[in-house]
Amino acid sequence: MSKAGDWRNYKRVLLPPVKDLHRLDAYEANEGYAALREVVTTDKWTPTSVTDEVKKSGLKGRGGAGFPTGLKWSFMPPVDPEIPRYLCCNGDESEPGTFKDRQLLEYNPHLVFEGMLIASYAMSIKTAYLYIRGEFADWITHMEAELEKAYQKGYVGKNIMGSDFSCDIVIHKGAGAYICGEESSLMNSLEGKRAYPRIKPPFPAQKGVWGYPTTINNVETLACAPLIIRNGGEWYAGIGAPNHAGPVLYGISGHVNRPGVYEYPTGMLITDLVNEVAGGMRGGKKLKALVPGGSSTPVLRADMIDGVTMDADSLREAGSMMGTSGMLIMDEDTDMVSFLRRITHFYHHESCGQCTPCREGTGWLENIVTRIDEGEGNLRDLDLLIDLCSQMEGRTVCALADAAAWPVRYTIDRFRDEFEAKCKPSLVASGVDMATA
Amino acid sequence: MADFIKHPIVDLPDRKPDPVVPADQLHFSDEEKKEIQTWISRYPTADGAVMRALWLAQEKFSFLPPEVIQLVADEVGIPYSNAYGVATFYTQYFKEKKGKYVLDVCTCFSCQLCGGFDMLHYLEEKLDVHKGETTQDGVFTVQEAECLGACGSAPMLQITNGTYVHNLTREKIDALVDALREDKMPAFTSVTLPQDEDEMGGNRRTDVSSTETYQAGPVSETIR
Ligand SMILES: Cc1cc2nc3c(=O)[nH]c(=O)nc-3n(C[C@H](O)[C@H](O)[C@H](O)COP(=O)(O)O)c2cc1C
Ligand code: SF4
Ligand code: FES
Repeated sequence: MSKAGDWRNYKRVLLPPVKDLHRLDAYEANEGYAALREVVTTDKWTPTSVTDEVKKSGLKGRGGAGFPTGLKWSFMPPVDPEIPRYLCCNGDESEPGTFKDRQLLEYNPHLVFEGMLIASYAMSIKTAYLYIRGEFADWITHMEAELEKAYQKGYVGKNIMGSDFSCDIVIHKGAGAYICGEESSLMNSLEGKRAYPRIKPPFPAQKGVWGYPTTINNVETLACAPLIIRNGGEWYAGIGAPNHAGPVLYGISGHVNRPGVYEYPTGMLITDLVNEVAGGMRGGKKLKALVPGGSSTPVLRADMIDGVTMDADSLREAGSMMGTSGMLIMDEDTDMVSFLRRITHFYHHESCGQCTPCREGTGWLENIVTRIDEGEGNLRDLDLLIDLCSQMEGRTVCALADAAAWPVRYTIDRFRDEFEAKCKPSLVASGVDMATA
Repeated sequence: MADFIKHPIVDLPDRKPDPVVPADQLHFSDEEKKEIQTWISRYPTADGAVMRALWLAQEKFSFLPPEVIQLVADEVGIPYSNAYGVATFYTQYFKEKKGKYVLDVCTCFSCQLCGGFDMLHYLEEKLDVHKGETTQDGVFTVQEAECLGACGSAPMLQITNGTYVHNLTREKIDALVDALREDKMPAFTSVTLPQDEDEMGGNRRTDVSSTETYQAGPVSETIR
């Protein structure tokens, strides 16, 4: 059952249908910066009450891990005027299959700025960095122009709208590295270092950028903050799936007739998204498989998606994850071995090389899957791959190793016959213990 | 000195190759220096500005040989090794000379399924290069890219760390190569949200000259 209610009549809030909403004048004419004004200039709000409202909304991070946002904000230590604190908005968006943040940054940048400022107010932060991947150079230029306008109008900077709250926004341009999306790597990148992830703990709220308390949130997550202030946490909690509320940007790509970024509530039936929203399968083909939330989330076979909705609970039950809600749809002709081969190449290319299981493991995954794809693999290679995955998962500084291992583990698990068909017949049957074989 | 240091088994990289940027051109203008100082003022320590400074240098010198990295390090006020470490970590900083136009064709994930490899191979054949190579006349470098965050308009490519070209076809590649040979850069293209098409009859931006819609990708020849 869909948890998205009457989604056909859903009114968009993250990307409402307003001409030129990306420009400050249009944004102002449509309740723009009203939430921020209310927060910083009236007695109705205090930092704590803003955080509480976000907690009440049930907003969960849209960057991949789905961590409750209000709770994350409350991890910041008590204010000490001597110690600076920072906010980082994560616009690195490099997870293959994910392209929603770019559209939000293009079409509603002020909502992101306003969200960053409200979050900064809630955590008493005076500097907020917006980290955008370097490839989005054109969009960075557009956003810098809009940010300048917001500065001139006094929405950003010193004594915002005459209040005693001051906060700067700095746009940081990346330069091409998937790993910068990982929060601790992003912090090193901001500090002008090689973007190696850091060991946790200490968590960013204790020791973040330049060693100071820091909170990191995804672009789409922060864009929800002004909406929550405008309409209330309860309103937000009432949208979509009960345990994973809110509007969400679904990035649908692959073998569908109408790919693109769509805004709908969470808890949409996957079948509705594929067949109705995205216009059905290209060329009338049959659905074979789909990846629900970016390349690292486990692939689902067509027979596994009946009744499954796009929210954390339902996807977990089905054997996958919400991730970044970047959905890749594959039709019946897709070769799952070649598909997996390119994914393993991606992770091998993007491993930062700090941890041996990841640096070496991603290379081996790519080598072995390539061998199978070229018809040179043995059946026992499949067990070797699964074994490799087990040795990578949970043994590294950051979650990239897990993200690299999951697609291999689950694609093989769910399409084993296809992998076996590409292997050479082996003397050693699949499933035999490697050590004694 | 021990023998193995004088005669290493593996060739060590040449850390100080002959400079390629002539000494009289190797400096930032006052305006560029000011811009770098502005960026430095936006971070608690100067280090934070190194990425922007490297970007600036790459736009000016088209790539980052050691002497340019040294220049950036001096201007930002950090050790050479730090700037070098950053310059070599990120793929978008070019450590060697590339063609005038670098074509980054995405073959990752969604683009793979929608013909990214076909587009890459077509471009390789058309320009008679392999990926990673530059054409003899020095105009084009063809590269294979990882996901560029435009998966819905797959297959796609990016021109020299800048403009995106969406919904690639062979005809589009032909036209693009011809245009770039005449130094005509395609305009920034805004991709219309499908819901905007339905509710607003097209793209919401009135300030862009070029718009496109998301289109179903072609059938890939390499992965089916
Ligand atoms: C390898 C790796 C890559 C990531 N890439 C991104 C990314 O591109 N964008 C993003 O928002 N989060 C990314 N994340 C998740 C972030 O680490 C972090 O959890 C997130 O930005 C927190 O924001 P949220 O709580 O709003 O979701 C990545 C995580 C890992 C392990
Ligand atoms: S898991 Fe991989 S990407 Fe993450 S820190 Fe270790 S080597 Fe780097
Ligand atoms: S897969 Fe090519 S842009 Fe994302």
